[in-house]
Amino acid sequence: MALMTEANWEPKVLAFCCNWCSYSGADLVGLNRMKYPENVRIVRVPCSARVNPQFIIRAFQRGADGVLVAGCHPGDCHYSTGNYYTRRRFLVMKRLLEFIGIESQRFQARWISGAEAVKFRDTVTKLCEDIKALGPQRKLRDQK
Amino acid sequence: MNAIQIKMREVAGQLLSLGEVDRVIGWEKGRFAHQSPPAFITDETKVERLIWDEYCLTGTAKYLLDDPYRAGKTGLFARGCDARAINRLIQDGQVKRENIVIIGICCTGMSDSVSRQMAAKCCDCTHPTPVVYDLMIGEPVKPVAKPERFKAVAELEQKAAQEKSEYWTRQFAKCIRCYACRNICPACNCRECFADQYRVGWLGKQHHTAENQVFGLTRAYHIADRCIECGECARVCPVGIPLMELNRKLIKDIQQLFGDYHAGVDSETAPPLGRYSLDDMEEFM
Repeated sequence: MALMTEANWEPKVLAFCCNWCSYSGADLVGLNRMKYPENVRIVRVPCSARVNPQFIIRAFQRGADGVLVAGCHPGDCHYSTGNYYTRRRFLVMKRLLEFIGIESQRFQARWISGAEAVKFRDTVTKLCEDIKALGPQRKLRDQK
Repeated sequence: MNAIQIKMREVAGQLLSLGEVDRVIGWEKGRFAHQSPPAFITDETKVERLIWDEYCLTGTAKYLLDDPYRAGKTGLFARGCDARAINRLIQDGQVKRENIVIIGICCTGMSDSVSRQMAAKCCDCTHPTPVVYDLMIGEPVKPVAKPERFKAVAELEQKAAQEKSEYWTRQFAKCIRCYACRNICPACNCRECFADQYRVGWLGKQHHTAENQVFGLTRAYHIADRCIECGECARVCPVGIPLMELNRKLIKDIQQLFGDYHAGVDSETAPPLGRYSLDDMEEFM
């Protein structure tokens, strides 16, 4: 594997996917033989409400160029109400990240059900394209 | 000697001599004329130490947590900000209301120890009169809405991403991670703070701008819906990071998104991020 340099830079995108909907959705992309960018690293979480907002800050600090939080549609949460809390949390978190100067495209939250393979593919493809256009995320990064 | 101070000593003396409380927390004159540190008085003959002047800046409520298992009742002198802090601690299950006798003081604002002008935290104060009290000293005044306290936040919001990032990087580059902001904050009442649990990996011990920013942001978000706007964090910061701008940004957004909410004004209404509504705004479809 070639060393990553400025010239051949590829974004690292971290996707937190809820076990019950979005992770199955991502799985279905593969089952349907569709492709999505290999820049995406998926972290499976039991519920989108498991995603502590600090995970986002930490991800940016440790080298993520973009972060996606994906969960069940409101009303469809496996635990009934988890994603309603997620919604409140990340509505606020998104604005805080913008306030400290992280471009709004870098952090996204989306509702993706287990049947929405196409939506998962389109969401991450768009996210990766946006981040490629923005370039590497350096704002909260550890100095080397 | 001012009327409030006379009344403070009188009330404290009575409470202590009757055995209603076994200590009172107020303010005393310290080494410097422009500083009035907190006073802890357990003896009724020592109530003369209590003072009330324009430099009583320190919040009293957080001292209730110094000894969380303490037996006995505490008499607490509380201005508007301290009263909201007490509600904060009650709501977070840190103290019991029946263990505190709140002696409310109607505050007219304090002076900054350096500039001798009205302190920043008092300029932005919306509830100068205690929202919860057992006894009251002074004339209550109505809460004032101060939308102008969000001015700095609104101005910063308008700037470009790069500029905002540079601003906050510059601010957090100054941070010496003394955790004074956390120690003084009535909303920061976790028994063990994420900043101390370094083996878990929430936060590294390294001292550089990125870790400082992660600390500042995590702390701000952790108290997002519970910040009582006492402004103590920004006041105690030895390097002058405008921490209230982060808190106010969160408060402003929470008010816009989930309706009017003022943390600590009562101890009943749950903080907005701890509940939800089916018709919250939808941005993630």
